[in-house]
Amino acid sequence: MTGYQSGLLVILCFNVIAAYAVYLPMAAGQLNLGVAGFMATGAYAAAYLTNEAGWSIGAAVPAGGACAGLLALLVAVPILRTQGIYLALATFALGQVIAAIFLNLDVVGGAAGYPVSAYAGPGAVFAATAAILAAMLLLSRTRFALYLTAIKSDPVVTDLMGVNVRAVQVGALTLGAVIGGLGGGLYGHHFSFVEAQHFNVALSIFTVLYVLLGGVQTVWGPLVGGAFFTLLPEVLRAGGGWRYVLFALLIIGVMALRPQGLVTAGAHWRPRRRAASRAPSRTSGHPGPETRLSTEVSGS
Amino acid sequence: MIAQQLVNGLMLGAIYVLVAVSFTLSIGILNFLNFSIPGLFMVGGMVTWILIGKGLHWGLAILGAVAAAGLVALAVERLSYRRSQAREPEVPLVSSLGFLVLLENLALVGAGSDQQAFPALVPDFNLRIGGLVVGGAQLVSLAVALTLVVAISVVLSRTSLGRQVRSIAESRETAVILGIDVGRLVPGIFILSAVFTALGGVLFALNYLQVSPFMGEGVGFKGVAAMILGGMGSIWGAVAGGLLIGLTEVLSITYLGADVVNVTVYGLLLAVMVLRPQGLFGRPPAREKL
Amino acid sequence: MTALLAIEHLSIAFGGLQVVQDLSFTVPKGRATALIGPNGAGKTTVFNLVSGVYSPTGGRILLAGRDITALPSRQRIRHGIARSFQNVRLMDHLSVVENLLVGQHATTRGLRDLLVPFRLVPNHRWRREAIDALAEAGLAAYADAGVGGLPYGIRKRVDLVRATLSGASLLMLDEPAAGLNPTETNALRDHLALLRGRGVTLLVVEHDMQFVGEVCEHVVVLDFGQKLAEGTLAQVQRDERVRAAYLGQAA
Repeated sequence: MTGYQSGLLVILCFNVIAAYAVYLPMAAGQLNLGVAGFMATGAYAAAYLTNEAGWSIGAAVPAGGACAGLLALLVAVPILRTQGIYLALATFALGQVIAAIFLNLDVVGGAAGYPVSAYAGPGAVFAATAAILAAMLLLSRTRFALYLTAIKSDPVVTDLMGVNVRAVQVGALTLGAVIGGLGGGLYGHHFSFVEAQHFNVALSIFTVLYVLLGGVQTVWGPLVGGAFFTLLPEVLRAGGGWRYVLFALLIIGVMALRPQGLVTAGAHWRPRRRAASRAPSRTSGHPGPETRLSTEVSGS
Repeated sequence: MIAQQLVNGLMLGAIYVLVAVSFTLSIGILNFLNFSIPGLFMVGGMVTWILIGKGLHWGLAILGAVAAAGLVALAVERLSYRRSQAREPEVPLVSSLGFLVLLENLALVGAGSDQQAFPALVPDFNLRIGGLVVGGAQLVSLAVALTLVVAISVVLSRTSLGRQVRSIAESRETAVILGIDVGRLVPGIFILSAVFTALGGVLFALNYLQVSPFMGEGVGFKGVAAMILGGMGSIWGAVAGGLLIGLTEVLSITYLGADVVNVTVYGLLLAVMVLRPQGLFGRPPAREKL
Repeated sequence: MTALLAIEHLSIAFGGLQVVQDLSFTVPKGRATALIGPNGAGKTTVFNLVSGVYSPTGGRILLAGRDITALPSRQRIRHGIARSFQNVRLMDHLSVVENLLVGQHATTRGLRDLLVPFRLVPNHRWRREAIDALAEAGLAAYADAGVGGLPYGIRKRVDLVRATLSGASLLMLDEPAAGLNPTETNALRDHLALLRGRGVTLLVVEHDMQFVGEVCEHVVVLDFGQKLAEGTLAQVQRDERVRAAYLGQAA
């Protein structure tokens, strides 16, 4: 593997990890526009622990993930009082605040950035990504994953089925933040440097972009979206300055022609063959929650 | 000193007001978080700069920039909004983000990533009231912003056109049943929103005498913050939110330092969202019914 | 005859409009009770109050003698109240069997059940139970279909099967027969008889009086949020006020 290839693969790994951080809450219909904040938390916490407290990378990175998760847990309860677009914008504000706080935190270098002495090579990044991917695949076969989709479909009925909707949502946001924090911690240790400016709105928003591009119907969506997002600009490299123009046109085109994302449920992605029976329901596009609820009010 | 900062904050706020009103029109009437708006803001500033550079009169240049933004907004309506009706709510948002990326990179290819100097169009005069100094460009910004906001507010509340638009906001289905030509009004709302945003971009260029491909991001995201702060869908809420964000920003820079701006601005936003999610002037979100 | 569910002086108003007013009735254990009345009488609102979607402005709801008026909606299914929905509300992003697995939630316990990757296990107990319940209703063929494309009658009955999987002692069915063809209505009747054989208590909102007569021994008539009459179907049909209420609506 050439340096270029392994470098690209490392970027792919970071993008995929971030994608799963966004995917978990989004599977329950919660748009997280502040994932960069959780990644920054993990990056700074892990870097601080190896730099100042002498921890090993193997201990510091998970601890960074835990810090990000803890932060998510603290803010999840008040933030999840809001719903829909409000929730998305609350996470957006949160991401901005976290990045801005680190920018002003002199203990970790402030605006000058924070050099990290311990180094995690590409092998460590690949292994960690594989582990996260395996955990996501296992999680996708649990009731928890089922409830995420149920909540996305119909939170009121899911509540009446006895599922603690709020707790599942807090869990999804928190677990997503832990993954984001892990990714951030690895990122800092791989590039030996953490700067708050990297964890900006664009990072949060682009991550959402490729999760949706991949599709949130199956657990494979973020992987495909992350890969697509990482590799396509490379393929388009010949286009020079125009490559991101082409890329943007592609995003608009995909969303207009295939709004459910690149990977959908059914076909061979699922262990049981059910493609034939479910295909029509997937492509016809179901009415959004608002439309569905408004037809329901009339009953008395 | 503090009075002068208050004045500066309000003047900066006037630009946020235009962007926030643009966002609030889109959210309030169409329930669409239109992330192409920061791109339209940049189009307002950049296209004016390009056309002036080609020797056009500044008035025509501004007109051209607003028209360009309007055309882009129509494309957003066609490709992001209309195509994804009644599907996953995130889809139009992502697609409009695609437009932001598209516009920024087109500007990047055309003009490079550098800040470009924007000519001083407003004569360099200062108004002195007591100890306060108000710049000419600042005055123009405030006047334009106020005029536009009062105009849109009057149109929405007093005219039959406004009533039709508000009925779309209440329920699209009902509006269709009432015979309102939704298919024509919706693109109109997109154009209106583009006019507000593009003029915001022009005013920004007039005040700060510079434009760049990424000038829309910082202002655009603060415009979102202003909209939420005031309450989504409320025009006067957007005005209050815009002015408040402008004040917070200027006061933070003066008394706490430039790096802290995002902590105070977005911290304020977060606090409001937790304590009063509907914003200062918004209605509480409707409860789900069965 | 003991009451499984007792409604006592229940009231709720929406924006000044009194939708349910001082309503009292009981649902006997092990029996099938129908809640009937003209459109807008407040029948679905009663379901929403009992299942906890709305909080009453006055009155009490007792389940097996226990006051559940203040119990959060989520916890009511674990106390034995499950319901179906007038305008079928299946989760469109899930398949039939996945909808049923969600319906089983009230029978599961703790974090372990939540986080075990049971869908890696072929023919796991949970899936088997869901498919058995589906087979009882004659719907086994649809197990792995997406719910979005299914005919209305099938969706409606999947909604019912989902409610039964919670193991509830009280099933509240909101117009279970509406929109079904005669064959489907027959299958529904057999299915309900099977459930009653297991001691499940039914509370049914239904407009089809023939269906009510065949399924329910006890009928409560509602009009403008108040109880108009109570008794067997034959008894309430003879009641002058009931006739007036229905005629008034027809006029």
